[in-house]
Amino acid sequence: MNTPLNRRHFLRSSTALIALPFLESLGFRRFASASQIPARPKRMVFIGIGWGVTQETWYPDVKQTGAEWTLPEGLKPLAKHQKDITIIQNCFHKHSIDPHSCSTFWLTGANKFGVPGKSFSNTISVDQVAAEQFGKDTRFTSLALSGSGESHGAGLSLAWNRQGKPVAGLDNPVAAFHKLFSDEKTSLAQRQAELKRQQSVLDTVLVDARALGRDLGKEDNDKLSEYLESIRDIETQLAKETQWLDVEKPKPGLTEPKNGVSGLNEIRLMYDLMVAALQTDSTRVATYRQPVDVLIKGLGLKFAGHNISHYTPGARMEASQARDRGQSELLAHFIERLKTTKEPDGSTLFDHVSVALGTNVRSQHYLDNCPTLLTGGGAGIKLGQHLVMSDSKTPLCNVWLTLLNGVGVKSKSFGDSTGIIEQLRA
Amino acid sequence: MPESQRVFFKNYCVSCHNEEKHKGKVRLDDIPFRIADIPTAERWQKILGAINSGDMPPEDEKQPKPEEKAAFLEVLSKQIVVALKALSDTGGLITMRRLNRREYVNTIRDLLDVEVRPKDLPADDDGGSFDTIGSGLFFSSDQFQQYLKLARIALDEAIVSGPKPKAKTQRREPEVEANKHAQGQHEHYAKDKKRYEDWKASGKPPTDFGFEDEADANIKIALVRGHMAGFTSYLAEPATKTGLVLESFMGLLGQDQTRLPGNAAPGAYRLSIRAAAMDPAHPCFIEVGMHGNGSGVGEIDILRCVKVTAPMDAPQIIEVPFTNTKSGSHVVAVRERRHNTSDAAYFIEGQRSKENNGNAYRATAWIDWVEWEGPFVEQWPPRSHELVLGKEALPAKPSAADARRIIERFAERAFRGRAVTPEFMERLMTHFDERIAAGETFLDAIKTPLSIVLASPSFLYIAESSLSFSPNGKEKSAAKPGRLSQTELATRLAYFLWSSPPDEALMQLARDGKLSDASVLAREVDRMLADEKVMRFISGFTHQWLHMVRLDFFQYNHRLHPRFDGSVKESARREVYETLRVVLRERLPLGALLKSDFVVVNDILADYYGLGGVSDDAFRKVPVPAGVPRGGLPGMAAILAMGSDGDRTSPVERGAWVLRHLINDPPPPAPANVPQLSRLAGKLMPARQLMLVHQEQPQCSQCHRRIDPIGFGFEHFDAVGLWREKEYTEIPVLNQFARETKLFPVDTSGTLPDGTAFDGFEQLREAIAKREADFAKGLVEHLIEFGLGRPCGFSDDDLVQSVLESAKPQHYTPRALIQALVSSREFHTK
Repeated sequence: MNTPLNRRHFLRSSTALIALPFLESLGFRRFASASQIPARPKRMVFIGIGWGVTQETWYPDVKQTGAEWTLPEGLKPLAKHQKDITIIQNCFHKHSIDPHSCSTFWLTGANKFGVPGKSFSNTISVDQVAAEQFGKDTRFTSLALSGSGESHGAGLSLAWNRQGKPVAGLDNPVAAFHKLFSDEKTSLAQRQAELKRQQSVLDTVLVDARALGRDLGKEDNDKLSEYLESIRDIETQLAKETQWLDVEKPKPGLTEPKNGVSGLNEIRLMYDLMVAALQTDSTRVATYRQPVDVLIKGLGLKFAGHNISHYTPGARMEASQARDRGQSELLAHFIERLKTTKEPDGSTLFDHVSVALGTNVRSQHYLDNCPTLLTGGGAGIKLGQHLVMSDSKTPLCNVWLTLLNGVGVKSKSFGDSTGIIEQLRA
Repeated sequence: MPESQRVFFKNYCVSCHNEEKHKGKVRLDDIPFRIADIPTAERWQKILGAINSGDMPPEDEKQPKPEEKAAFLEVLSKQIVVALKALSDTGGLITMRRLNRREYVNTIRDLLDVEVRPKDLPADDDGGSFDTIGSGLFFSSDQFQQYLKLARIALDEAIVSGPKPKAKTQRREPEVEANKHAQGQHEHYAKDKKRYEDWKASGKPPTDFGFEDEADANIKIALVRGHMAGFTSYLAEPATKTGLVLESFMGLLGQDQTRLPGNAAPGAYRLSIRAAAMDPAHPCFIEVGMHGNGSGVGEIDILRCVKVTAPMDAPQIIEVPFTNTKSGSHVVAVRERRHNTSDAAYFIEGQRSKENNGNAYRATAWIDWVEWEGPFVEQWPPRSHELVLGKEALPAKPSAADARRIIERFAERAFRGRAVTPEFMERLMTHFDERIAAGETFLDAIKTPLSIVLASPSFLYIAESSLSFSPNGKEKSAAKPGRLSQTELATRLAYFLWSSPPDEALMQLARDGKLSDASVLAREVDRMLADEKVMRFISGFTHQWLHMVRLDFFQYNHRLHPRFDGSVKESARREVYETLRVVLRERLPLGALLKSDFVVVNDILADYYGLGGVSDDAFRKVPVPAGVPRGGLPGMAAILAMGSDGDRTSPVERGAWVLRHLINDPPPPAPANVPQLSRLAGKLMPARQLMLVHQEQPQCSQCHRRIDPIGFGFEHFDAVGLWREKEYTEIPVLNQFARETKLFPVDTSGTLPDGTAFDGFEQLREAIAKREADFAKGLVEHLIEFGLGRPCGFSDDDLVQSVLESAKPQHYTPRALIQALVSSREFHTK
C-alpha cells in the first residue's frame, strides 16, 4: 500500500507526469532520490485552418527573406513572437486537385485517385507516423481534435491511419476534457471488471464478424476489415487503459469546461486542452482540424467560412482579413501558453514542441504555396525566419519530413517527399 | 485525347519540352495521348494545371490565341474528367456498405418503433457522392461505441416495465414569465437611465454613480436608448395583461418555451395553443418547433407553421403533435414566423423597424395559453415492447430459455435474413447470464445482448454473400457475377425504395422464393412505391441527387430578403420532394419535373408564389394560372435560392446546376489555381455584367461560356426565387452602415450549349423541357449509384440505355425507370 500511495503522491505533486513504465524500469526509490531529470520528450502539434488565408495580406513580402522581414497585416497579432515563428513559402502537394478537400490531404499529401478502381484513397498522415513512435509511452497514442459540423473535405479529423482510413476526432471540448483528465468515479475493481466486460463485448462482435467474413468476397472483406480495425483500436485502447488503470489521470491545471462553449472560446479551449495534454504527457502528438465557421462566428463576421475564402475586394475580403487576424491572435495565445508552461527541468513546453499551422489551400481555389507557419523548439527548426523556396513546387511533405526527423522520428521519406529542407534546420 | 489537340500541344508545349530541349527538366513529347493509367492522368493534370494557372506557356514564349487556348483547355479538362472516371470505374463492383445515418435511424425505427437522434454519428452525405456508396462509408472505433450507446438508449425506450403511464396535461399562462422578464428588463434600464441623468446633472465623476468610467456610462445610456422603449411599449400594451404578445424582436419574449419535465415518458405528445391575431385584418403565422437540438438560440426544428386568423374575442386552438424521445430535445418553442437564425443583427434590425412603426403590435399573434398533453399511449405494453419481446406476455419469472427465444428472434430480424450462428448465440447468452448474475432484472439483463446485436457487423453492414444463388435460392455456386439470394435482393430493394429494412411481407416472399417471379417483384415495387415509406427514399435521394445541401450553405440575408424566412425555406425544400411524390404517384411523365401546369404547395408557399386558394399547411396540387412563372424544378424557390449566395443571384451556380442536374451535360469541376478575376468586384453592376470578366481569360471562358448564359435566363428571379422586374444592387460605402444602391433592368437572353437561343425564363424553361431524354439519363445514372451503392461508370452504358429504352414509351415516368432498373440483371447480381 505504501509504495503506490507514494508513487501517486509523487505523480500528483509533480507538474508533469512521467510515464509509468519508465518509473517502474528505474525503480521508484532510486528515481525519487535521483537529482537528474530525464530529457523532456518531444511533442508535435498540427493545426489545420481549413479554407485558406488572404493571400494579399497573410504572406510576408517575398523580397524580405531570412531573419529580417516585416510582419504582414494578417500576422500582426504575432508581433511579440515574431522571433519564434518561421514562414515557409512555395510548398504544396502535387496531387492536390480538389480545393474542397483542404483538410483531407493536408497531412498526408496523398493522391485521391491513387488506387485504380477507387474514387477515393488516402495514406497515413504525418502526425500518425510520429504517434507510432511517441505514443507507446503515453496514455493516449495521439489526440485528434476537430470542430463540429465542419470538415473541409472527407475525413473525421486531420489524422489518417496506416491504412489510409480516417482517425476519429473529438469535436466536443467537454468530452475531450473528460477523456483526458476525468477519473472514473468507480473503484479499481469495478473499473477492472468494466474493462473485462468491454473486452467481452468485443469478443462477441468478433464472433459475428468472423462468421460474416467467411461469406464475403475479397473486396467486402477489405471493407469489413475497417470494422475489425476499429475493434482492434478499441482493444489497444483497453489494453492501454488496463496498463494505466492504477495511475490516476493527471490534473490539468485547467478548470472543467462547461457545455455550450462556442466561438473563440471553443477554439481557445481546444488549444488549452492540447497544452494540458502535452504538459501532463498524456499524449505527445496532437492535431486540431479547427472549424472555420466557429472562428468566423466568434469574430462576429457574417459570411460562411467557405464563402469568405472566395473573397473579392470589399466586404468579403475584409472579413477574410479579419479572420486571418483572429486566427493569429488565437495562435499568439497558444504560443504564449506554450512559453509559460514550465517543464520539470526549468525549460518550457515551447522548447520541446513542434507546431505547424496551415492548410492545403492558399486562397480561393489556389492549391499552390500552401500557407505554412512553424513554431516551437521541438523539431530544431531555425525560428524567426521567412523562407521562400526557390522551387515553387517544393513538396509540403519535405517540410513534414524535416519536422519528423527534427523530433527524432527517423523516417527516410514521407508522402511524395524528395528530401528534407536544410534551410529550415537550425 | 482527340488528335485535334495535337497541333496546339506541339506548338505551345512540346516545342520547349522535348527530347533535346527539356526546359525545367520537363519532357512532354513522350506523353501518351491515350490516358490509360494513373501516372499518365497525373502528367496531363499537371499540364492542365500549368496552363490554367497561367504559368505556361511562359510570358516570353509564343502565346496561343485566346480561342485556341480555350478550346484546348475545354477538351483537356473534359478528357481528364473522363479519364479519372474510367480509371476509377469499379466495373460494376459493389463494395459492402454499412448503414448510413438515415438508414440507421429508419432501421431502428422499424425494428424497435423508437426514434433515435444520432447527433454523434457522421452524417455520411458530404462526400460529394451518395451516402449509399460503400467505398465512402468508413467505420471508426468511436462509431462502434456510439452504436452501442445508441442501441442501449433505444432499447431503454422500447422496453417498458410498470403500469401504463397516464397522460398528463399541463397548461401554462405564458404571459406570467414574459411580463416578469419584461418588467425586470424595464426596471434595469430605468435604473441606468436615472443614474445617468443624475450623473449628468451633478457634475461629479461617473464612478460616484456606479459607472466604471465615462465610456461605461455612455455604453449604458446607448443600451437604454436602444432597448428601453421596446419594453415600455410592450408593458403598455393591454393585450399583455391577458396573454403573451409574440414579439420576435425582443429576445426570448418573442419565443415561448415549453419544457417537458426530465422524467416525462417518451412517446406521442400534443402541444395546444390558444391564439388570436391582434388585428384580424393582419393575419399572422406562428411557428412551433423543437428547440435545442444542438442549434443556436434563435434556431428551431420547425414542426408546423400555422396561420392565425381568429380575433381576440374568439381565439382559435392550434394543435401540434410532437414526439418526446430520450435522445432528443425536450423543449418546444412557439414563436412568430421568422428567419431561423441566431444572428443578433436580425433582432436589432427588427426592433428598429418596429420602433419606426411606433411599436405597433398589429401583425402579431397573441397567445392565451399553451398546454402540453401526453404521452398518448394507444396500447400497453407499447408496440416497441412487443416488437422486442413478442406479443405473448412473459411468465412472471421468465427463464433463460425465454431470454434465448427473445434474443434469437431479435437477432434474426436485425440481421435481415442472415443466419445467426450458434456460437454467436452462445456468446450473447453469456452476456445475459452475467447481467443476471450481477443482479439485474430480466428486462434489463436482455438489453446488453440486444444492444450488442445492434453493434454487430451483420446488422450494421448490408452484406451480400460472395456466392451465387440459383433463382429458387436453393443452390449456391461461385459463378461470377454472383446472383443475390432472395433475402439479399429484398434487402437491396428495401434500402433502395424505403431506405429501410424489408418489411415482413417482402421478407416472406423472399423466404418463399417468390421474388424470382418478375410479376411478383414488379407488384412488390408498386406496393413499396405506394407506401408512405417511399418518402424516405424521395427525400434522401433527391436531397443528394439535386445537391440540395446548397440550401443550407448560406444564411439568407434577412435585410435584403425578409420574406425568405425559416418556414418558407423548409416549405420550399419540401416542395421539391412533394412534387416528386406527386409525379411518382400519378405516374406523370418525367418532363413534368421540368415544366408543368401545376405546383405542389402548402399555404405558405402558395402565398410566397402569389397563388390563392390554399388554406392550410398540407401540401397539395394546385394549378398554375397563366402568367405565373412556376411549375417544374426551374421555377421552384428552393432551386432558385440554391443558385445564389444568400445575397445575390449567381448565374454561374444556376447555369452549372442546370447543366449538371437537368440536361446532364456537367461542366468539369472548378479547376484549381485559375487566377481569380476581381477587376469588377465591388463595382455597382448588374450580375450579368459582372460575369463578363469570365470571357476575358481563356482559362475561364472555356467553361463559363457554356455555363453563364443559362444562368442569365433566371435573372428575373432574385436570390430567394421571388420574381423581380428590376435587379437591386448595393455596395457598401466607407462603413457598412451606408450603401450605394441602384436598380438595373434585367436582361434574360441567353443560349444553351447546343446553340438553342432563348429570351426570358419562359423560353429557357421551354428549351430545358425539350431535354426530357437527357434529364432521364442523368436521373437513371444517379438511381444506379444510389440503388446499387456504387459509382455509375462507363461499364454501365448498356444498363443505362436499356433502362431508358424500356421506360421511354411511358415518357420516363419515375415508376417505369425504377421498375426497369429493379428488373435489370445488375440489380440482381453483385
